[in-house]
Amino acid sequence: MPETRQTEWPMRIVTLLARTNRTIAIICGVVLLVIVALTLAEIALRQIVGRGLGGVDEVSGYVMAGVAAWGFSYALVDRAHVRIDVATGRLPIAGRSLFDFIALVSVCGVAILVSWYGWNVLSRSFQGASRANTPLETPLWIPQSIWLGGWLWLALVSGLLAICVAALMLRKRWEEVERVAGATAESGEEP
Amino acid sequence: MIFTVGGSLLALLALSLPVGVVLFLLGIGVDQLYTPFPLLRGLGQVVWSSSDSGLLIAIPFFVMLGEVLVRAGIAERTYRALDSWFSWLPGGLIHANIGTATMFSATSGSSVATAATVATVAMPQAEKLGYDQRLFAGAIAAGGTLGIMIPPSINLIIYGFLTETSIPRLFLAGLVPGLLLAVGFMAITAILCKLYPSLGGPSRSASWGERVSGLKHLVPLILLFAVVIGSIYAGWATPTESAAIGVAMAMGIAAANRAFTLKVLIDSLLGTVKTTAMVMFVIIGAYFLNYTLAAAGLGRELTFMLENLGLGPYGTLMVIIALYIVLGFFIETMALMIATIPIVVPIVIGIGFDPIWFGILLIVLVEMALITPPVGLNLYVVQAARSKGKFSDVMIGALPYVGGMLLMVLALVLFPQIALFLPGL
Repeated sequence: MPETRQTEWPMRIVTLLARTNRTIAIICGVVLLVIVALTLAEIALRQIVGRGLGGVDEVSGYVMAGVAAWGFSYALVDRAHVRIDVATGRLPIAGRSLFDFIALVSVCGVAILVSWYGWNVLSRSFQGASRANTPLETPLWIPQSIWLGGWLWLALVSGLLAICVAALMLRKRWEEVERVAGATAESGEEP
Repeated sequence: MIFTVGGSLLALLALSLPVGVVLFLLGIGVDQLYTPFPLLRGLGQVVWSSSDSGLLIAIPFFVMLGEVLVRAGIAERTYRALDSWFSWLPGGLIHANIGTATMFSATSGSSVATAATVATVAMPQAEKLGYDQRLFAGAIAAGGTLGIMIPPSINLIIYGFLTETSIPRLFLAGLVPGLLLAVGFMAITAILCKLYPSLGGPSRSASWGERVSGLKHLVPLILLFAVVIGSIYAGWATPTESAAIGVAMAMGIAAANRAFTLKVLIDSLLGTVKTTAMVMFVIIGAYFLNYTLAAAGLGRELTFMLENLGLGPYGTLMVIIALYIVLGFFIETMALMIATIPIVVPIVIGIGFDPIWFGILLIVLVEMALITPPVGLNLYVVQAARSKGKFSDVMIGALPYVGGMLLMVLALVLFPQIALFLPGL
């Protein structure tokens, strides 16, 4: 049985990543719901009392940055990032797998770059104790570390997925590669 | 530089890299090859400031609004109600396809979601009633594009965000052209089916009783639209805030239909986060690309090239329109908009055109890009919802509507008032 166990680890990691990212996405969604509620409260107070909560707009911006950054990985495991496979879609399945692998590596590269230069942004905010130029005077390192965490997570998830896909390719498990990393159903892959 | 950047863009896209990644890579390339500055060091700041936006949160809100309505099954009810109102026209159910797409456009901001929903509901009917699938599917793909024209529209918010144009005025400007396109699509369908009856299916007429009872499914949506748009113009809410009102109303409508379950809520949240992340990845990539292109002076180079053609304002405008039509064949629409707006819009304003008007013209061109092959997202979405048949069927079926969009472009150029009349009031 060691043979089957050996072939299973890439798919186990993939499943784990998918589950974790689903949970993260639900948390992001709930945070969005909270912002919806805050926005409604802001409008209502402004109309009734004549004065809103203040700062909802600012918090919305931070939430947007955070939700986007942490959502990237969910979109990645759910294969939602738009890829144009007009040309590569005509290749045999092994060739397509190669491009799926390259796509993951490219995402990982971009995520590492953004995290690297994003670190400068965060450390400068932290050292300079920068606060937002707003009534809330939010210390910027707080929303920025959540945001940067999302990009680091994307680097990790895309890196792990790339390793799993490489392992699946070595085992010639092309269908599984397609399920994990293929361009989405929008490509009309079913004839 | 223009041709190198354009060529590399197409080449990288053809490698099936994610669109957002392509834009980042191009930005890095432009920085290395064409600018003396160490722009890459600003990457972190650009990514942070483009995503930290209280305005862009309208995107997840409007997506969520649509997700809730779709997952709670409101689309099916709308479709049946509109079927009873419009199926007596030549072309029958095809008009319900366009009508449902229009109504969902008016409430949600996304084209792809609209097309996907209507396709899922409608395609089985086409098979059962023996419609010619080409026009039937094409009408869904085309009708779905209205989502980005009729307010609220995510694409118009992004246009306003990038050009610092008033979003409420853009929304008003999109209303008449959007409705005209919807009516135009129905007219095209009716004329084609009158001339070639085999294209459509049986015209059927519903009783007035059925129609009236269907109204109870249409009224909430119309109300939702009126409140979202009305709250902006009454000065109660900004466009972003109005989106939050819309989310609450959509949940209310779903609850009133006893369809607002925990599963619907969670699926809607997941769908919202997924779509938002997908869109934001492209927006951030495009933002970085623009930052490097601006430093490299691509705008100046393009302006210089256009001026050297010596075409005058309308000649230049025609070149720009032609450019968008061609690019629209190959480039995904969100990327197309975000990557070109900061370069093209200053030129267009410089030669004396109105930025609000150009925003609407651009949206028609982007709508066309959604249904022209090889890269037309709505075509793929509709094809994915079909159980069988060739992709080219959808493509051919959408062609008459592309014609309608071209007429709309012409009308907007000849009569700018179509867009500018309402915001000018």
